[in-house]
Amino acid sequence: MQPVYLDHAATTPLLASAREALLPFFDSEFGNASSRHPLGARAAAARERAREQVAAALLVEPRQVTFTSGGTEAANLAMLGLARASAARGRHVLVGATEHACVRACAVQLAREGFDVESVPLDSRGDVDLAAFAARVRTDTVLVAQMLVNNETGAIHPVSRMARVARARAPHVRVAVDAVQAFGKLDCALSELHADALFFSAHKIGGPKGAGALALASHTPIEPLLYGGGQEHGLRPGTENVPAIVGFGAAAELAEQQRGELLARFKMLRARLVSRLSSLEGMRLLESPSAQQPSIVALLLRGAPAEVTLHHLAQRGVFVSAGSACQARSRELSPGLKAIGLSDDEARRMLRISMGRTTSEAEVDLAADAIVEVARELERIAS
Amino acid sequence: MNMSAPEALLVRYGELTLKGANRVDFENVLARNVRLACAPIAPVRLEREHARLLVFPEGRSEAIARRLTQVFGISSISPVWGAPCEPEAIVERARAVLEDALLSIPPGETRTFRVLSRRADKRFPLSSMELDRLVSERIVRDGQPLRIDLDHPELVLGIEVRETRAWIYARRDAGPGGLPVGTLGRAVCLLSGGIDSPVAAWMAMKRGCEVVFVTFHSPPYIGESAKQKVMELVRTLGRWQRSARLYVVPFAPVQEAVRDAGAEAYRTVVYRRMMHRIATRIAELERASALITGESLGQVASQTMENLACIEAAAGLPVLRPLLGFDKQETISRAESIGTYAISNVQEPDCCSLFLPRHPVLRGQVAVCEEIEARLDVGALVAQALAGAEPHNLGWTARGAKVRA
Repeated sequence: MQPVYLDHAATTPLLASAREALLPFFDSEFGNASSRHPLGARAAAARERAREQVAAALLVEPRQVTFTSGGTEAANLAMLGLARASAARGRHVLVGATEHACVRACAVQLAREGFDVESVPLDSRGDVDLAAFAARVRTDTVLVAQMLVNNETGAIHPVSRMARVARARAPHVRVAVDAVQAFGKLDCALSELHADALFFSAHKIGGPKGAGALALASHTPIEPLLYGGGQEHGLRPGTENVPAIVGFGAAAELAEQQRGELLARFKMLRARLVSRLSSLEGMRLLESPSAQQPSIVALLLRGAPAEVTLHHLAQRGVFVSAGSACQARSRELSPGLKAIGLSDDEARRMLRISMGRTTSEAEVDLAADAIVEVARELERIAS
Repeated sequence: MNMSAPEALLVRYGELTLKGANRVDFENVLARNVRLACAPIAPVRLEREHARLLVFPEGRSEAIARRLTQVFGISSISPVWGAPCEPEAIVERARAVLEDALLSIPPGETRTFRVLSRRADKRFPLSSMELDRLVSERIVRDGQPLRIDLDHPELVLGIEVRETRAWIYARRDAGPGGLPVGTLGRAVCLLSGGIDSPVAAWMAMKRGCEVVFVTFHSPPYIGESAKQKVMELVRTLGRWQRSARLYVVPFAPVQEAVRDAGAEAYRTVVYRRMMHRIATRIAELERASALITGESLGQVASQTMENLACIEAAAGLPVLRPLLGFDKQETISRAESIGTYAISNVQEPDCCSLFLPRHPVLRGQVAVCEEIEARLDVGALVAQALAGAEPHNLGWTARGAKVRA
């Protein structure tokens, strides 16, 4: 039997259209996009087409988009590049309380470089506390980094209001938004988020691994991380990964086209899953009280740690995750889950089910039934 | 307190109201231009009432608001939130709109403030002044960074009461002014890669003129990049009208023929006469009724009154020169604000650099031009240029998604 894959927030299968678009660039269209002959020019044109596809989804000009090797590099470029470029104007940085590991690691690096790094305050429900955030922004705040959709819980954060609050208080602030889990599900137009920088990963939206992007507002000063041959307007030198970029462009175009219907479908699937799980005693759904991205379903199950539940589910052919896959290898508990008020024990019991474009009703039903069975079985063993 | 996106954008148009009988036409053109400008961003529904246009976008209201600042004829734009036409409901909504606006005031600063309502529906129980007072009393609290100032408010909480709904706003973005593109006919602009002609085209558009572009390109004396630069200029200008058509006219044969005809000092003037002849023919094709150039009096040595007269004499249509009264710096400032300066400023060899006379004539005479042209087959050169002209449609669709030729 085909496994039921419900870990799409970790990665989602390559779209057929992306695969078809990128394959020639592994093959006959192997040119270096910097070469001046037709083979190079075609690679450059394909790269620019992909840039237009990504830019169109974000409502920005193509030149505002910089391709990187993935979400982590784009996050590093945004965080370190924006902060370093503004260091002469201030050294205060505010970082979301539930950010992805790569953003947190960048924040640690900025602290090492002498930046004064603080967290975005949360209220008792785990939402961003806007009033407390406003009070924490200072005139020397140069960077606010805030994810739009949390990768562990699917909570949607009030990025655009935070950006407006920050700008009113800090004249030199740049607002960097992790849109990795939002792209393809929510509107990520730079204008609507009032952001200065947005970063993305291709493989979360049906593109290939190995490509990501940073979109910047016009005239945003930023320092590169790498130095080299001037590719990507000098912001990300190095011979471009044209196949991955082309696949990314194709995936971005389709994701943006289908965003509305996909979101509606996720809402329906989420309701179906939750209602089927409601018979489970002691199950708690972690849902943002203000706004929830429906494809990520975070559950607290009574009894066994999620790690144990996960392996039992895998035996039944249902693949889910315990918290975020990117942290799964570390034994450490997720700081993001602690930040929203979960105890160590609760954080350990959190199971993440994340749906994707290919997820069917039947798969959701199978998964729900398997979760109920496994949870009951584990409870029996424990008691 | 959690404010959703605005329900609509309230679009005001100033000058149109003055145009009497033509007003309905103008409003129709404006509505069409608004719809076309927004279409690539999000679908919109329009409602027209009382010299206002209400634009209801399906999402992306901020991008739409910004886009509307590029639609001529619009004097201002306000994102608005609706409320039932009932005082209590208006107060509640106004409070939320004000709190949202207060987010943007830096701590320690205050803003002068007033409530300003307009009442289109006279059945509403309160007068405008009474509504102003009621809302103000109910929503302004101690501790807010506001100081009431009825005469010079920096922050206005606006209320427009209509038949079915009241619209509330706290932000007013300036529109570009002018008249809707298409209400004052069509013209052909002679576009070089320089700073002036794009600004001239923009100024004609601003006054309601739809512009078709012509550029003269001289391969093999000049590379593809010069043409790309002009195309980029047209794409940028194309945002200000529905779409932009560019004719790229091969000009090297004309330049060679003029060079061979001698009278070096007159070359520039004769080239420009030839350009005007070709542009006039394109204008006929495009049903345009004037030519537009970036010429200004005395800006370069060749732009003397006499030379302009020589050039105009060859055009079969009126020549509009919107930059005539501009100093260079004024043109540059405008080019910067409309986004063409950065494109124009990229150095490319100019069209005529190889063929430029060492000592161009300052006070050209039409008779001398005609004498030189008698040595050329003007008709054949114009026909050859027209036959080689390539049209490109370079409209702006969405940022990033440009229509390819």
